Amino acid sequence: MGKKKEKNPGPPKPEKGKFPKPLLDALENAGLSTRNLIFCCTGDMDNEACYCGAWLCFDEKGFYMAFGEEEIVKSKRKHRKNEPKFNISEIRSIPIEEIDSLETERYVSTGRLIMKNDGEQISLVRFSIGRIAQFENLVRAFNSYKEKGEAEIPASAEPEEKKCKKCGKPCPPNKDFCHKCNKKSSTAIRLFKFFGGYIPQIAVIISIMLAGAAVSVFIPQISTRALFDDVLANPDGLPAAELLKALGWLVLSIFGVRLLNTLLTVIQQYITGGIMPKVVYDIKVKIFNAMQRLSVNFYSSKQTGSLMERVIRDANNIYWFFIDGVPAVIIDTATIIGVVAIMFAMNWKLSLIIVLAMPILMVTLVLGDKVFRRLHHRSWLYGARVSAMVSDNINGQRVIKAFSKENDEYKRFEKLSGEHMKAELKLALSEATVFPILEIVVMGLSTLVLGVGGVMVAKGEMTTGTLLSYIVYLEMLKGPFDFLAWISNWWARCADSAQRVFEIVDAKADITEKENAVSFENLRGDIEINELEFEYEPARPIIKKLSLNVKAGDMLGIVGKTGAGKTTIANLIARLYDAKEGCVKIDGIDVRDLKLTELRRNIGLVSQDIYLFIGSIADNIRYAKPDATMGEVIAAAKAASAHDFIMKLPDAYETRVGAGGQKLSGGERQRISIARTIIQNPKILILDEATAAMDTETERNIQNSLTKLKEGRTTIAIAHRLSTLRDSDYLAVIEDGKIIEYGTYAELIKQKGEFYKQYKIQSEALKTIGIGVPVEEKEDENEHK
Amino acid sequence: MNTNNISANTISPETLKTEYVLPESCVFSKNKNGFLAAKINGKDYGRVILTRSLPLTCPNDYICISDVEKNEVGIIEHTATFSSEQQALINDELAQRYYCPVITKIESIKEKMGHFYFDVLIGECKKSFAVRDISKSIRQHGDAIDLIDIDGNRFRILDFEAIPSKSRRKLEPYLY
Repeated sequence: MGKKKEKNPGPPKPEKGKFPKPLLDALENAGLSTRNLIFCCTGDMDNEACYCGAWLCFDEKGFYMAFGEEEIVKSKRKHRKNEPKFNISEIRSIPIEEIDSLETERYVSTGRLIMKNDGEQISLVRFSIGRIAQFENLVRAFNSYKEKGEAEIPASAEPEEKKCKKCGKPCPPNKDFCHKCNKKSSTAIRLFKFFGGYIPQIAVIISIMLAGAAVSVFIPQISTRALFDDVLANPDGLPAAELLKALGWLVLSIFGVRLLNTLLTVIQQYITGGIMPKVVYDIKVKIFNAMQRLSVNFYSSKQTGSLMERVIRDANNIYWFFIDGVPAVIIDTATIIGVVAIMFAMNWKLSLIIVLAMPILMVTLVLGDKVFRRLHHRSWLYGARVSAMVSDNINGQRVIKAFSKENDEYKRFEKLSGEHMKAELKLALSEATVFPILEIVVMGLSTLVLGVGGVMVAKGEMTTGTLLSYIVYLEMLKGPFDFLAWISNWWARCADSAQRVFEIVDAKADITEKENAVSFENLRGDIEINELEFEYEPARPIIKKLSLNVKAGDMLGIVGKTGAGKTTIANLIARLYDAKEGCVKIDGIDVRDLKLTELRRNIGLVSQDIYLFIGSIADNIRYAKPDATMGEVIAAAKAASAHDFIMKLPDAYETRVGAGGQKLSGGERQRISIARTIIQNPKILILDEATAAMDTETERNIQNSLTKLKEGRTTIAIAHRLSTLRDSDYLAVIEDGKIIEYGTYAELIKQKGEFYKQYKIQSEALKTIGIGVPVEEKEDENEHK
Repeated sequence: MNTNNISANTISPETLKTEYVLPESCVFSKNKNGFLAAKINGKDYGRVILTRSLPLTCPNDYICISDVEKNEVGIIEHTATFSSEQQALINDELAQRYYCPVITKIESIKEKMGHFYFDVLIGECKKSFAVRDISKSIRQHGDAIDLIDIDGNRFRILDFEAIPSKSRRKLEPYLY
């Protein structure tokens, strides 16, 4: 006693890019020295794409590949995590001087690690495509070690595939246990947690329900048994007047008991009705809040229809289950228990028949739950797909009409809607099959009870009143049993909805704010981009080691072909995405260390995709600053050259825009969005192809607005049309994620590189349509500058 | 004359013509490290990469040939026009690039909190994977079905009707 128990250390934690200790031990046992390993990576295939354990690593002498098997050995001791066991069957070594560099190749569902030696490519190993990020890290570490003698170990290096610590099966990102092993994630428990704040009211509701159920159970005792056995049978031989009096009291008692039952139901419904809308409000707000918290990446991977279904239909499914279903379950369960108890007290022999029928009912309920859950899910999938198609069709109406595809679209919709109908039909047919089975069981029971009970009455073992009340009790069971059979279906629908809701609530945002995020005192607007690397998918780099500096108040123009990575740079500065490697600094602070709200408040983004929300023009302009005065709104609109056209609209600043609102041209919408940015008064302004879709005159108007907007701000302007970048202090030409030219407008023209080539093509094009001056003249002009 | 005829007549046939790589002008071979190499119209491209234009519906037609720098060299219209020897080389390269583990049996699909946990057999090998957002992670094309797990790995059922009926019943509710 008194000796402190040592804390169970569990399996060893791998360091970044290192193998876990049991694996290192297994490798040592197989003859590989692991003391000086520089970087390690886990694969899952051999060179022929056959599944096996594969472990790759290198040290200063060689590159090693070990193949074998990994298994999770279940711990015999309770509460102790399961240990992985490694059986190494083969080790291959390649002297480091034989490898010039490594590279990965991405295929459809696999990847390949290739070594280069004297310009020749040699395949080393294949791997599942999901591991490509790890292999990219290995390549990076190895190549940097070969080049500089020091391995660059990426911050994102993950040594192992994410596996559940309990069962070893695949695990969702950012989780230690899979959902199967995480009991806390039970749908029902989580749903009931929404009611945590209403425990006193729920206790009252349950008490009232139980009282109501007790009253209901008592009713047949007076309305049937007492009526027949104590009054109508007249066992005491009372005179007619006395009998009538007794009958009158009995009828009054029946009325009183029924009234009491109704009153209890009304009170219960009143309290439930007061809680439920609040709970549903909590659920909807929680989903919506989770959706706002999620990054742009999440939205690009989901259909709008499916997300809308989650907010509206799923929350309502949960609502209806809890407002109608749960109270009924409590009442019906209490009724069944009470009724069965009374029935046993009345006649245990008859009651045994009912007990024997219970397993049939239970099995039907369990099977029904499984089938209905899947069918509901399927029906939901089609429903979401139909919604997405309707939304797609509405948004694409102009294109549909331009290509005269109305009929084809109708046929597509008819087909999909038909599939949805089939799924609904299958569900309805399943319901129509399961419920009659229950009906037949209950009907058979009641007939059997009537027959056996009749014999008992004839033998004098039972009174007529007791048999009649027994049959009433049996009938009373039918409703709750029917409902409980149906509730499994209802619960299936609710649980299916709840799972989708929790998928959003549990989704982890890619972009999160650090705990000790830094605030701006006075933002100057210096932007520094260091060795920036970014990819939307592993091994498909978009930005490659890009570095840039923009001084506060300066304007940087970014030009480049479509897909060169221009917009990605803007997204990384605004931290809509996080860089893979390198960083973006504002006033010397990494954007990942800054408070997100402050960062975004100080960055104004005017893009080619303009979105106006449903509301008035004034509301849209003051979107970034809801407390802006009308004077500020007008000033912003004037600065954006939007005031004149707004005043020509019948409702001026109160004109409704957005879905279903006033139609505005692209140029008008863009000017409103510029006014919105002006009122935001950001220190850093990003113009991402802001005028790309405009005609020359509108572009000129908007350019004037933008010139006013740029004053006193750091501006990054991304454009195809070089004419819009004439005012830039310096320009960067981007190609394939890298800067290929950098300098002032005049310097780049003089350099006669890619910028000059583009400049010449555009000038010639303008000359052809009679706009602009000959290239030679402009060149002279620029040289004089 | 209807509108379709007008638009068809106004586009010159040359505009819509694609030049294909013909078997007589193209020779495939394997280099000493096992990679596919090609000589097209007399030019030796060294290692080449083949990519399917219609990987799901016409895996042997419209095959793009690129050099290692990923610059397109040409397009094969139908691989069937090549000799059987050449076809074997093409098919081998395509099989490696488009290799996808083939599911032969589904042992279980368990669903919890929006994630679907699959235990399957890939040949003789047991494999477990998790799928999120099942409607988007199951892609049906003809008789084949592709499943994409949470890490982006792809698994294929070559012929849904050919797998055991128990496996079919397990997956069927999620197909549409």
